[in-house]
Amino acid sequence: MKALTNVNASSFNEAAAAAQAARQQGQAVAFSGGGTDLLQQIKDGTDPADVVINLRSVADGRAIGADGAGIAIGGLVTLTELAEDPLVLSGLSAIAEAAGSVGTPQIRNVGTLAGNITQRPWCWYYRNGFNCFKAGGNECFSVNGENGQHAIYGGGPSYIVHPSDVAPALVAFDAVFQVTGPNGDREVSAEDFFVLPITNPERENSLAENELLTGVRIPNVSSNTVSTYHKIMDREAWTHAEVGVAAVIQRDGNEVQNAKIVLAGVAPIPWRIQAIEDFLAGEQISEAVAREAGEIGIQDAQPLSNNAHKLPMISSAIERAILNLAAG
Amino acid sequence: MSEFTREGLEPLSTIGNDTPRIDAIERVTGQAKYTRDWKLPGMLYAKVLRSPHPHARIVSIDTSAAEALPGVQTVITYENAQVVWGAGSVNGGRQYNDPTKDATIHRRYIFNNPVRFVGDSIAAVAATDRHIAEEALGLIEVEYEQLPFVLEPEEALEEGAPQVYAEGNLCPDFRGEFAPMVSNIGDVEAGFEEADQIFEERYETGFIHNAQMEPRCSLAHWQGDKLVLYTPSQGISNCRHDTARDLGLEDHQVQIIAKYMGGGFGNKNQNQDADLIAATLSRRAGVPVMLEYSRREDWLGVHGRWPTVQYYKVGVKDDGEVTAMQMRAYSGMGPYRKNSGGISGMDAYGCENRYREIHPVYTNRTTSGNFRAPSDPHGHYGVENMMDEVAYQLDMDPVEFTLKNMRRPSEQQQFTNYSLEEVINDGAQRFNWQTRRKVTPGSDEGPIKRGAGFSFMMFRAGVGTSSAIVRVNANEEYTLYVGVTDIGPGAKTTMGMIAAEALRVPLSQVEVVWGDTDRCPYSVGESGSRTTIMTGIAVVEAAEDLKGQIADRGMPTGSDVLIASATPTPTTDGMTRQCFGAHFVEVEVDTRIGSTKILKYTTVHESGRIINPSTARDQIRGATIQGIGQALYEDLLYDPQTGQPLTPGYYRARHLTHKDIPDIDVHFIEVDDGYGPFGAKTAGESGIILAPAAVANAVANAIGKRMTSLPITRDKILGAMA
Repeated sequence: MKALTNVNASSFNEAAAAAQAARQQGQAVAFSGGGTDLLQQIKDGTDPADVVINLRSVADGRAIGADGAGIAIGGLVTLTELAEDPLVLSGLSAIAEAAGSVGTPQIRNVGTLAGNITQRPWCWYYRNGFNCFKAGGNECFSVNGENGQHAIYGGGPSYIVHPSDVAPALVAFDAVFQVTGPNGDREVSAEDFFVLPITNPERENSLAENELLTGVRIPNVSSNTVSTYHKIMDREAWTHAEVGVAAVIQRDGNEVQNAKIVLAGVAPIPWRIQAIEDFLAGEQISEAVAREAGEIGIQDAQPLSNNAHKLPMISSAIERAILNLAAG
Repeated sequence: MSEFTREGLEPLSTIGNDTPRIDAIERVTGQAKYTRDWKLPGMLYAKVLRSPHPHARIVSIDTSAAEALPGVQTVITYENAQVVWGAGSVNGGRQYNDPTKDATIHRRYIFNNPVRFVGDSIAAVAATDRHIAEEALGLIEVEYEQLPFVLEPEEALEEGAPQVYAEGNLCPDFRGEFAPMVSNIGDVEAGFEEADQIFEERYETGFIHNAQMEPRCSLAHWQGDKLVLYTPSQGISNCRHDTARDLGLEDHQVQIIAKYMGGGFGNKNQNQDADLIAATLSRRAGVPVMLEYSRREDWLGVHGRWPTVQYYKVGVKDDGEVTAMQMRAYSGMGPYRKNSGGISGMDAYGCENRYREIHPVYTNRTTSGNFRAPSDPHGHYGVENMMDEVAYQLDMDPVEFTLKNMRRPSEQQQFTNYSLEEVINDGAQRFNWQTRRKVTPGSDEGPIKRGAGFSFMMFRAGVGTSSAIVRVNANEEYTLYVGVTDIGPGAKTTMGMIAAEALRVPLSQVEVVWGDTDRCPYSVGESGSRTTIMTGIAVVEAAEDLKGQIADRGMPTGSDVLIASATPTPTTDGMTRQCFGAHFVEVEVDTRIGSTKILKYTTVHESGRIINPSTARDQIRGATIQGIGQALYEDLLYDPQTGQPLTPGYYRARHLTHKDIPDIDVHFIEVDDGYGPFGAKTAGESGIILAPAAVANAVANAIGKRMTSLPITRDKILGAMA
């Protein structure tokens, strides 16, 4: 493994300042929350970091708490804490379920919320060191290659899928992301945080250089809100979603008033399907309605040469997620 | 659950009782010293530079910047260290045959130019720590001229395909002739004439890495002209012999030490290039050198099970009698012929007209080699799915079809004992085969479909030569010297138990000395499921000899000891000796998302008398788990455009996690045929043979579509159902 410098930051502001200072000296920088993935990327040479800014020494960003406006979750909260937190479990099931489905218990015990949201893609070309868009190159090798796990929505010119389970759930809850940088703090909606490759093929989100995600805020949810995260994996643990569905529904009895449906594992960003949301509003949840929602979910899909098998999986996952939220 | 049926067998004192491994405490408390735990004074750490291209000629290599890096002691390359790795490529894949190695046409060196796969080694660095060694690799400048590459064995034999060697891509046989491996019994054309119906199908299986926990590593230490090599080896005696030959030494100039190791499953049989690279670096540096492979290097730089394409043609009469079986097949060997490329399974049938033609083919994928039952799981998958399909096409129960057609003892071929019918019938009954299988495949209503499949096998349990020494002192403390290591099945414990039984003393009175060629006699090695039988027979014979000495002379007194050794050459009196097994599986396939879940898994094995029930049971379970992985999950995917591997490692190759593993019922029918040590036969490899066949048959029974390609991933199921 290459030699690198570790900087223990004592605050997010200090971390951003340290990043800026290192970059000004021409060094590549990475922020490390749990570091579960970063360390391997550095070993593999897919992350060029010369300086790792360690956030484990930061005291802030570790709490989950409610104020009048909603629930605030620190960026350094671990996935295990998130999955087991009573506040999250009681009102934000989809987030707890998504966090609890990540990787393995070992990864969840160390991996952080912010790290999960900002992790790099797991595309096998990028991770095997191909000089693709994600590595700063000018090509997506999946287009004419092995694309069984690649994007069927929002692709082009890169066809990676966003690997986070938690991010779609946050989008579905209208979360607001808190960002700290050398020029101060800013907030951005979860939906606007992620960027498509058509905007920036190299990155997955709108964080500027030296900025880091420090926490998320979820606006109050109404008492008639129910939510779930349904995930299809190729094995029972230690893998990413082939298809994930975060569903958040406000219902009156069994009638949907309002719905948010956001997919994981099928697009370069958490992929919201408004056509399903529009369809569901005013419908009674039933097997037929859920099935139709599943079919709507693949209407605009654009599969590549070898990933059309994801279509029935998406329909099925949407159907099951919605049926999970039926009343009674 | 597990169960052992021992009707008619005399109970023994030690053998047959669940016995903890004699090294269990050391292993679980971290006291066990694995190769990578050794630290010798002044030791250097090495790293290997590997080809990033699937096929290329090296135009130039410049190591000056690497050599100038502080901490770097020695750099060797294909230019200045041309050591033949005899076991790395051998005519016909004949791994333990010296004359064949000497006559081998396409030799593999520790470093190669041209390079023929992504991961082929070209240079190595020894430095004061592993990070400096790694940094130095990045300073070696290599200019490559890229060459066309080929990944698929069938394509490799097409006209105009890129040539891995000038002579073409068909691997030479053990005679050095470029011909497929052919076995022709009876008259297959006459058999097809006789048939009422003929069935044909193509089957395909993937590359499966052995995926043992411990990556390959080696610590070389020269003491004058003697090489001491700490290396995880499944066979220290063979490793010593291979290493001595490759380095131009006598066997006695090499000492192999393998006290503890983290598995092998067949890819630590012989010496490895890591051993020769560490030894070469150490000799030049004048100090010990430790070489460790990363997980990725182990995945790409060592070997796994060969991928295959198998074409079958089967002739059958309307009453279900098979009249002819034909297979034409291709095994992808990578660019070096490390092992045979065999595809077994047809021999399990009695049909008198059988033709088999296997083409071992060079490609620019990573090397293929031995993996637990090297020729069997993929072959049984092809044959058993072919025959299962034939049975259903004839409206026959596959079990009934098997009982009608399987190989049975004959005058020409007698068995020391024959339990095949018994294991099949016992398994069918325990599993409730008639209830679970769908008479009409795919007949479950709705998207979630259940089905059941089965497969059967017989596997070699032959006897052969190995050695043992046993000693007793005045305190009646016995010491057993056996050249075994322990790749997992518990050979040290098994040998101790056999000795204790033969000596009629408790196991606690027997100390076992293992894993060191300077202290232990020859042992065949933990490959080919041979150790329990062959070294076990030697242990029994040495113990008998020692008991005779004690009877004649009494127990030794004072500082005297009595010693006995044995190197028997047992036979089976011209009979075939086999172990037998049958696996029955029920699956549930969700055809909406293409997932397969195993609901019930029943195994019945006859492996002779079981020495240690707890380890025997776990051998079957562990092997079955690997077989399920081959059936449903594992593969090494390559990018067709660039020839780069995409899925090396546990994460990408999708090995089963604990949560994916079903309950596996294990039943042993125990017998003593009078040949093995106390009647023991083979168990280690037999458990892996049947899962791919049985699971695939069960999926076909559930969904009503034959899955002709492994692994049976969801895209294939969804494709078949679309």
